[in-house]
Amino acid sequence: MKKYNLVTPEGTKDLLFEDCLAHRKVEEILSRSFAARGFQEVVTPAIEFYDVMDPAVSGINPEIMYKTVDHHGRLIVLRPDSTMPIARLASTRLQNQPKPLRLYYTQAVYRNHPGLTGRQDENMETGVELLGAGGRRADLEAVLTAVEALSQCIPDFRLELGHAGFFKALAAQLPVSAEKREEIREIVEAKNYAALNSLLDELPASPSVSAMRRLPRLFGGEEVFSQAEPLCITDEARGMLEYLRTLYKDLANLGLKERLMVDLSLVQRNDYYTGIVFSAYTENWGDAVLMGGRYDKLLENFQCPMPAVGFSINVTAVAKLLLEKGKIQKPKAPDVLVHGENGYELQALLYASRLVEQGGSCENSVFLSLEEAKEYAAQRGIGEIVLVSDAVKRITVDEKGGKKA
Amino acid sequence: MKPLRIALTKGRLENDTVALLEKIGYDCSAVKNKGRKLILPLGDNMEVVLAKAADVITYVEHGVCDLGVVGKDTIMEHGSSFYEVLDLGFGKCRFALAAPKGCDFWNGYSSRTIATKYPNVARNYFAKKAMDVQVIKIEGSVELAPLLGLSDAIVDIVETGTTLKENGLEVIDTVQNISARMIVNAASLKLRKKEIEELVERMENALKEEKNG
Repeated sequence: MKKYNLVTPEGTKDLLFEDCLAHRKVEEILSRSFAARGFQEVVTPAIEFYDVMDPAVSGINPEIMYKTVDHHGRLIVLRPDSTMPIARLASTRLQNQPKPLRLYYTQAVYRNHPGLTGRQDENMETGVELLGAGGRRADLEAVLTAVEALSQCIPDFRLELGHAGFFKALAAQLPVSAEKREEIREIVEAKNYAALNSLLDELPASPSVSAMRRLPRLFGGEEVFSQAEPLCITDEARGMLEYLRTLYKDLANLGLKERLMVDLSLVQRNDYYTGIVFSAYTENWGDAVLMGGRYDKLLENFQCPMPAVGFSINVTAVAKLLLEKGKIQKPKAPDVLVHGENGYELQALLYASRLVEQGGSCENSVFLSLEEAKEYAAQRGIGEIVLVSDAVKRITVDEKGGKKA
Repeated sequence: MKPLRIALTKGRLENDTVALLEKIGYDCSAVKNKGRKLILPLGDNMEVVLAKAADVITYVEHGVCDLGVVGKDTIMEHGSSFYEVLDLGFGKCRFALAAPKGCDFWNGYSSRTIATKYPNVARNYFAKKAMDVQVIKIEGSVELAPLLGLSDAIVDIVETGTTLKENGLEVIDTVQNISARMIVNAASLKLRKKEIEELVERMENALKEEKNG
C-alpha cells in the first residue's frame, strides 16, 4: 500500500519560521486591537456537529465541508466558518449574560476545495461578533473596529459597503418563479451583464425589470446612491438605501472617505446576512481580505433570537502580504552558543540559565568538541561562543571559520 | 500604478481579441510579433498574457491577471468565482448532445453512458434533466467513443457539424450556445473600476458598431 507519510494533505502546509512570525504578528495586532475595544476571546472546537452548519441556514455548500462521524454515527464537520459556532455558543452558555456580547476569535477554518487550484483548505481567521445589538451604533462600531484593526496590519485597503437586503427587495418585485429568481441572483453575483439582459428581456417591461438591469453596475463611490435612487421601487428598498447612505456619510465624516466604496449588488456571501455587508480589498490579493455583515435572523435558528453583526479577517492572506512587503524580519539567531568543556556541562547550563534570566538569548552546545561547536555556530549564524571551563571565555565566531558542510 | 493585465486564450480568441483591441486604438504590435514571449506590453498601461483557456480562469481567479478572455465552454467546465462582464460575440459555437444517427436516445430506461471532454458540463446538463448517466472523460476525438461502442452519446463542442456527419452522428439537443467572454477578477474590478469599466465600454461599443455596420 502506498504510504503518504512524507507529504501534507492538499491545501495545507507547514508554517516555518518567518511564516510563523508573520501569522503570530498579525494575530497579535488584531487581538490586541479587538481586546482594547472590549471584545473577549473565545475558542470553539475544531469539530462541530454538521447540524450547526446547516447549509439551509449558513449557505455553506455541504460539499466543501470536511466530514466525519462520531462513535454514534452522527455527522461531524471540521469547522468551515466561525460565526455559526459562535452563534451556537451565544445561544447556549451565554444566553443569560448581559447583552451585547462582544466576542473575538482566532482560529482556523477548513474548506475542502477541488484539488490543484492553488487554494488553501486551512485558513487562519480572526474576527469579532457583536451579539445582541442592532442598528446604526452597532453597525458603525463593527465597521470601525474592522478598519481600526486591519489598518494596523495593512495601511492601504479599500472598504466596500453593501446591503444584503437590497437585491432581495428588488428581486421580490420581479414576476418570476423562485428558481428563476435564484438564476438571476447567480447572474447578478457574477456581474454577467449579457446573461442578465437576455434573461430580463423575456419579462414584460416594468420598473422592477429595469431596476434589476441596472443593479450589477451600481458600485463605486458616493455617486452610486443618487444613481440608485430612481430604482428604489419599494419603500423597503428606499429605506435600505437611505440607511446605507447615512452610514456612508457617518464613515466619511470619520475620515474614511478615501477608503470607501459601495456595491449595491453584493449578493454573494453567506445567506445569513440580513443588513449591511462589508468587505476589504487590497492590492496583490485577488479576494476580499476581510468580510462581514449583519445577521439578525441567524440566532433564531439556535432558539435565541437576537440581532448581531460581525466580521472576519483572513490572517493567512494578511500574513502573506506582510511577508511579501518585507515587513517581517527573519527570526534572529540567538546571541551566543554556550559550550562547556568536558566535565563542565552543568556549569555551562547554569551559565545559560543566568544569561537568559538577564534577558539574553543563547543556545546550548551539545557537541563534544569546541571545533564542532564553532562549525555549528558559523552555520547557524551565531556570532559568539561562550566557552565555560575554569573560567568563562568569549570566542568570536568567524563566519567563514567553520568548515563548509 | 501597475499595468492592467489581461489574459488571452491562445489561438483564435487571441486573434479576435487583438483585432478588437486594435480597433479601439491599442498598439498591438508587440502581441502580433510576440516570438516566444508570453507576457507582452499593450499600449502604455496594459499587459497581455497568453495562456491556455482553463489557465486564463485560474490566473484571473487568483488575481494575478485582472482580466481574461475565455470561451463560455471553459467557464462552464472550470469556472467559479469571477465577474463575467461582457459577451464578446466572437468564438461562436455550441455545446451539443450527439448520438449515432437514427438511435432513439431518450427512449427506454437503461442507463446511458456519455463520452465527453467536458465532464462537468455533461453532468450538469443531465442532472437538470433528472437523468442518471455515467460520464466518461475522453481527451481526444470524442466522436470515436460511440463508434467503438464505449458510449451511447457524446457531449461536445460543435461548430459546423461536419465531423459528426462524417462519422454517422447527429445532434440531438443543444446544451448551450458558446461565445467568448470577458472575465474580471473580483478585487480588480473593485480597486480599478474606472479603468476596467472604460475598457469594457469601449470594447462593447466597438462590438455594437461592428454588428450594426
